[in-house]
Amino acid sequence: MRRRIVVCLLALACMAGARAAWAQQSRPAEERLGGCFDGYLDKAQTEQAAAQQPGQPAAPAEIRIGHLHASSGPYASISMPVYLGLKLWVEQMNAGGGAVVKPFGRKLPLRLISYDDQSNPGTAATLTNQLITQDKVDLLIADSGSVLTAVSVPIAREHKMFLFDPTGTGAAFFSKDNPYIALLADPVSTVWPRFLWEFLKSDVAAAGLTRVAILYSTNDFTGTQAASIRAALKAPGSPVQIVFDQGVPTSTSNYAVLIDNIAAAKPDVVLELGYVGNDIAFLRNLQESGTKFPMVFTLYPGIETSTLLKNVGQTGLAGVFSYVTALAYSYPPEVGMTLEQFRGSWEKAYAKSGVEFGWNAIAGYVTGLVLGQTLACTDSMAQLDVRKSVFSLSGKLKTLIGTFELNEQGAQIGELTPIGQIAPAGSDGIHFTVVYPSAMSSGKPIFGAK
Amino acid sequence: MLAHAILSGLVFGCYFTLVGLGLNLIFGVMRIVNLAHGDVVMLGAFAAFWLFALVGLHPLMSSVIVLAAFALLGLPVYYLVVPRLLAARDSEMLSIILFFGVQQIIEAIATIAFGTSERSIPGRVLGRGPLHLLGQALPVAWVVSAAVSLLAVALVYLYLYRSRVGTLTRAVMVNRDEALASGIDVNRVSALAFAIGVALAGLAGVFSPFMLGSATPAMGGDVNLAAFAVIVIGSLGDPRGTMLGGLIYGVALMLMQTYMSAWANLLPNLLLIAVLLVRPTGLLGRQVRRA
Repeated sequence: MRRRIVVCLLALACMAGARAAWAQQSRPAEERLGGCFDGYLDKAQTEQAAAQQPGQPAAPAEIRIGHLHASSGPYASISMPVYLGLKLWVEQMNAGGGAVVKPFGRKLPLRLISYDDQSNPGTAATLTNQLITQDKVDLLIADSGSVLTAVSVPIAREHKMFLFDPTGTGAAFFSKDNPYIALLADPVSTVWPRFLWEFLKSDVAAAGLTRVAILYSTNDFTGTQAASIRAALKAPGSPVQIVFDQGVPTSTSNYAVLIDNIAAAKPDVVLELGYVGNDIAFLRNLQESGTKFPMVFTLYPGIETSTLLKNVGQTGLAGVFSYVTALAYSYPPEVGMTLEQFRGSWEKAYAKSGVEFGWNAIAGYVTGLVLGQTLACTDSMAQLDVRKSVFSLSGKLKTLIGTFELNEQGAQIGELTPIGQIAPAGSDGIHFTVVYPSAMSSGKPIFGAK
Repeated sequence: MLAHAILSGLVFGCYFTLVGLGLNLIFGVMRIVNLAHGDVVMLGAFAAFWLFALVGLHPLMSSVIVLAAFALLGLPVYYLVVPRLLAARDSEMLSIILFFGVQQIIEAIATIAFGTSERSIPGRVLGRGPLHLLGQALPVAWVVSAAVSLLAVALVYLYLYRSRVGTLTRAVMVNRDEALASGIDVNRVSALAFAIGVALAGLAGVFSPFMLGSATPAMGGDVNLAAFAVIVIGSLGDPRGTMLGGLIYGVALMLMQTYMSAWANLLPNLLLIAVLLVRPTGLLGRQVRRA
């Protein structure tokens, strides 16, 4: 019996250590598509799109939207807000009679079919396949985050199903030979840190802070961000020197030793790129270690501000630099609710859900907005027409997170987030001072504050 | 860097000794594998979080309450589940399946009840600023957590080796049938060991927000893996081995983070595989059956 237990444990360990490799398959050449949309849909255009045209195909009873979410596991905290934000949009649309679907010339109710992949990429792959082949959904949305999106990309492409990607920013998802994907609510990871590396090479270097440490979690999201920043900082003529550059597993939950190792490299700037749990652990350990760096940048204080504030506290966040998302920087929307309206609707619907309101909640809602505009604009429900409709929104659709803009591979290059620094506000709150780019700035950076 | 990594590893290892201790005690006495152990740790973390958030209770006070509450919780669970398991022909294998199901249920209920967001208790609650130990700066919260862990290990040692019921417990560990034949109330001894095991897991949970950054309903899986690595390194069923396993695990993890950080999460699996292949009984394996 003891031998059987040993064999079982051995097998479990081997399974846990192994990672499935997802092969990319060659696809047909990209189809060049023209624009179909000259701007966002106002009320008149919506009515025009909804007008019944002779010879239109018979409308289905509903539009089926396939989606994955993770209600448990390590990605639940970034996945559930996206799911609930999307669900809120679907419910609002259905309350108004559904979404305008141009090919059928009228409003149709939306049915959200969202399966729980439990943060398991293998389960996500199976369920993506199920949504396409069994549920035969009209529109397909990936789970949140790059790790769980990664498995859906090749499956959607194989089935020639257009994948609406809310927040999977890994650069590898977007290629010229894959027309079946678009990133909706986060900038692609190769572009997202642009303001950060520009800030480091200009204002920060001018302040004499030129030694940079990069600590990143080894996943598609933060790995790509780290690679982009590294490449920019190592470019010829860069005044910045990278003195520490290490990846850690995304499951890392203590950083005390890593902080000590970084301190040994004597950096002026520390960039810690991780998911929510990584940033919480890093900032807590930094605070408790007593180690100080002139500048510290992490991702999630600006993305999931409420969660970070609750776990790290006002003191732990004070002085930290982060992206300033729509949570703290107002973009006037031309489609959909404002931030305040959306937050109000969220609090009304999900106050007791245990899911924090943050950037990912907004991303879920914006995903819905893009879906709605796509349905109102597409010539048919054929997937390449759906793609054409999505791309026609590029550069024109303005939501509460800024301008939706795609490159020709479907990667999001609009909605760039400025760089901000956190300062205490009130007894236990915080506020962001936008420090870069100068056109958006609301104050000067204070180095040595962390 | 090396000195800091080793010292941090020893402190971290003390905590992981506590994480593995309850699991090992239950396996040692009952020969059942509690795959829900990590989720009991998670429940302990949320108990401490809510006690702090709602009534401002200090984690050290919470640890006493959690110890008592989880021990009391363990008793009915034992009588509901374990005697039936032990009566089965293949109780060890059945326990893996059963507790895997329990783990899933606990995580699902916790997700519904607590949500998916991270929760933690401010580190300053256990003391402000770093503590300088042998020339190295360590978070006070880590040192306090390690001290509590060492205290718990010492109490378990006293229970096992300096008390009459501990002697009976060790007799059951050596051979359950012989203990039964010699008149020991095996069921009662096992129930007590099960309750202590659950209570130790709850206690480990109280300090997990300080050692692991934050707590989520999904944390149980990773905790389980580390706990299994710790007890397999030492030896299944031997609490002294758990201490050795915890320290080896902690130091190895910190050294991996220092010199091969990207591969650090492979460590529990590598240690498990290495020990199971080279010395399947664990480093103190010979002493298990003679405890």
